[in-house]
Amino acid sequence: MRPVDRRRFIGLTVGGLVLPRFAIGQSDTRPTINIAVQQVATSASLEVVRERSNVGERVQQSIFETLIDRNLKSKLEPIPGLAESWKRIDERTVEFALRKGVKFHNGEEMTADDVVFTFGPERMFGYDYDSGSNKTLFTTVLARDSIEGKKLPAEVVGIAKRTFPSLEQVVAVDKYTVRFVNRVPDVTLEARIGSSGCSIISKRGFMEAKTWIDWARKPIATGPYKVRELKPDESLILDAHDEYWGGKPPIKTIRFVVVPEVSSRINGLLSGQYEFICDVPPDQIGALAQNAKFEVQGGLITNHRILVFDKNHPRLADPRIRQAITHSIDRQAIVDSLWAGKTRVPPGLQWEFYGPMFVEGWTVPEYDPKKTQALLKEAGYKGEPIPFRVLNNYYTNQTATAQIEVEMWRAAGLNIQIEMRENWQQIFENDGKRAMRDWSNSAPFSDPMSSMVGQHGPQGQQQQAKEWTNAEMNKLCETLEVETDMAKRRAMFKRMLEICEREDPAYTVLHQNATFTAKRKDIQWQSAPAFAMDFRADNFRWDRKT
Amino acid sequence: MLRYLAGRLLRAILTIFLVIAFVFFVLHLSGDPAMMILSADAPPEAIKAFREAWGLDRPVWEQFLAYLFHALQGDFGNSMRDGRPAMQLVLERVPSTLAITVPAFALKLLIGIPAGIYAALHRNSLADRLTMMISVAGFTVPSFVLALVLVLVFSVQLGWLPSAGSDKPTSAILPIVTLGVAGAAILARFTRSAMLEVLGQPYIRAASAKGLQWRKVVVEHALPNAAIPTTTIVGFMVGTLIAGAVVVESVFAWPGIGRLLVSAVSNRDLAVVQAILLLVATTMVTANIIVDFVYGWLDPRLRRGGTRGR
Repeated sequence: MRPVDRRRFIGLTVGGLVLPRFAIGQSDTRPTINIAVQQVATSASLEVVRERSNVGERVQQSIFETLIDRNLKSKLEPIPGLAESWKRIDERTVEFALRKGVKFHNGEEMTADDVVFTFGPERMFGYDYDSGSNKTLFTTVLARDSIEGKKLPAEVVGIAKRTFPSLEQVVAVDKYTVRFVNRVPDVTLEARIGSSGCSIISKRGFMEAKTWIDWARKPIATGPYKVRELKPDESLILDAHDEYWGGKPPIKTIRFVVVPEVSSRINGLLSGQYEFICDVPPDQIGALAQNAKFEVQGGLITNHRILVFDKNHPRLADPRIRQAITHSIDRQAIVDSLWAGKTRVPPGLQWEFYGPMFVEGWTVPEYDPKKTQALLKEAGYKGEPIPFRVLNNYYTNQTATAQIEVEMWRAAGLNIQIEMRENWQQIFENDGKRAMRDWSNSAPFSDPMSSMVGQHGPQGQQQQAKEWTNAEMNKLCETLEVETDMAKRRAMFKRMLEICEREDPAYTVLHQNATFTAKRKDIQWQSAPAFAMDFRADNFRWDRKT
Repeated sequence: MLRYLAGRLLRAILTIFLVIAFVFFVLHLSGDPAMMILSADAPPEAIKAFREAWGLDRPVWEQFLAYLFHALQGDFGNSMRDGRPAMQLVLERVPSTLAITVPAFALKLLIGIPAGIYAALHRNSLADRLTMMISVAGFTVPSFVLALVLVLVFSVQLGWLPSAGSDKPTSAILPIVTLGVAGAAILARFTRSAMLEVLGQPYIRAASAKGLQWRKVVVEHALPNAAIPTTTIVGFMVGTLIAGAVVVESVFAWPGIGRLLVSAVSNRDLAVVQAILLLVATTMVTANIIVDFVYGWLDPRLRRGGTRGR
């Protein structure tokens, strides 16, 4: 036998140390996938309390998880997430039993302390939070204040306050049990806790980050993939979190690459550079679908395109004129022509995942030119011009939709004139000529409080911008917030729909929004009814033959 | 000579100051950043807090003086979106942009100038017409169209090169070619015109009549005299090294200054836009000064304060 000299000893030792890792590396045959997106995160960070955009939701799904998850394979109904179960203690209190053995990206186990910290002043509310105050500071982008240390940007506090206007305290009952206590009775507390801004983070991970922005760019959470690197406006690289409680992730590395140009994304897919491309415009679906190697998936998301009225405009003060406008839009024709039938005309400003709060049988105003003409005659409308402020394709198909609508209105006897604007400031400019504008509404959680009240109630944008108000609607908003009887709440919501969509139109819903993702056909993957992309083990398989 | 240089430098400083002032006032008067940057449903108290935090509540002239004061000390403000110093963000992107614009610039010189000279020396020949035809095509086809055609051929059809991104060394090839082709076409046309004008001058005929070899006539008499108009174009191209690739960077998802500019404008990140435009202005002005010096070197009459026509 060859004697073990110094050189051989070092060789064997180094080999012994390196080989197992090498072998592990060799045995990991999971793929790396490349996904071209138009943007990774609009705020240059990933922190869920700050990055609230649709594009952010797409990547955050792989990094973060909430106590109550939403079923991405169905209609987003609530399902157990990081909490195995939850129960109501009373009208103000919900208790969660945490899932055991959940590991953060830093290898630490998730406990009740992390949940309490997640909803604490250091991370969410700041130290000036007052659960009794009704003032909400809702701002975005003040990161300058956070650079020097861990001081929260103002918008984080604002968003937290808006999500939980009355959260009194979060208490750890034991290592795996947490209680949320609200100041007032609130049946939406579970829905709020399940919303994306409430993802659970690692206390140690947060405390160890040097600055808030360092944390926000590399957060430590429990999702199936952990952040390796975020380069704002360039790329986000995620690695598999192999200790993930829901099973070993099927992808070794996911690279989200920012490719703003649609044609560049499509060319990248066709050339094999990307396995997935996102934000495919509807007019490109047909061409991509003809290629046998690729398929386009996706569709409806929890966001509706709407038209908003300013009832202070002299022409729109009479609700019959606004009603006429709502009855003269052939919404299905817009869906068929501009969206290739890939979206739908929804049942008003609501979504099926509202569950018990969903008002069955409700519809948007029917397309009826004769009714329009009758309403206009009653109101004494003589063809006076009504301005319609439009941004250039801020929303998908926005300009084309506006042009089609104008022709529909013209055919019905309405003289509505498009006025192109460059930015939101010009859209909102209250110069006495403001009459109509485009908008879209989402539902951050499964209750009308998140959309109807949040957007059109007294604190919502439309009333804050002084475009519209209605005393009965405002009273209903106040009552709905504290009412706990579900039948009464649903009746209130139905009344809100009647006021806002029919009697004294604040807005009118045009169509549901949709997002489309193109991918290689040999990858087994199913898109969700949301912007979120799910790359967990039960939703991804790639039998690579080429 | 010293007076000549001092005059040029003073003019450059004045130009940069005017650019800073113009950009500042246009950006600040074109819309309220608070409304642009804050969410559309921001309440009045949030807008007020934002304006106070960024000094937007003060008169514009006061903001301008404060900006100048800080800029002179090297502080160009912070990015409202990223939080970091704006100039740091911009400078981080410079190497990436130069990685495609400098090779593209070399490509322009290596193709454009020889092609222009060759076409001029073979005026009205098939080679001349072919060169000019390609040249016209080169600068009339928009760069985004050329970029997409190149991607379709070399990425989608042949699969030789990446269609976008910056993760592989080969990712830079198509952006460089796209930028280089258009510039080479322009340079070829200018060089040809300049050469043709010089070749028609009496001193060229005189040099030939003296019995000088044609090669010597071209190299020693024609080329130096044709260099002045060509230098002007080359100087302009040097000036565009920093921000001359906005479209190409967008099409190829190249993470350079151009992409940052588009993103900063759409996010109304004023400090970043201002820092980029300041850098661009400085580059252009510096390039112009260098061109002025080169003029002086090429044409002694300019050094002495005379004019070429005198």
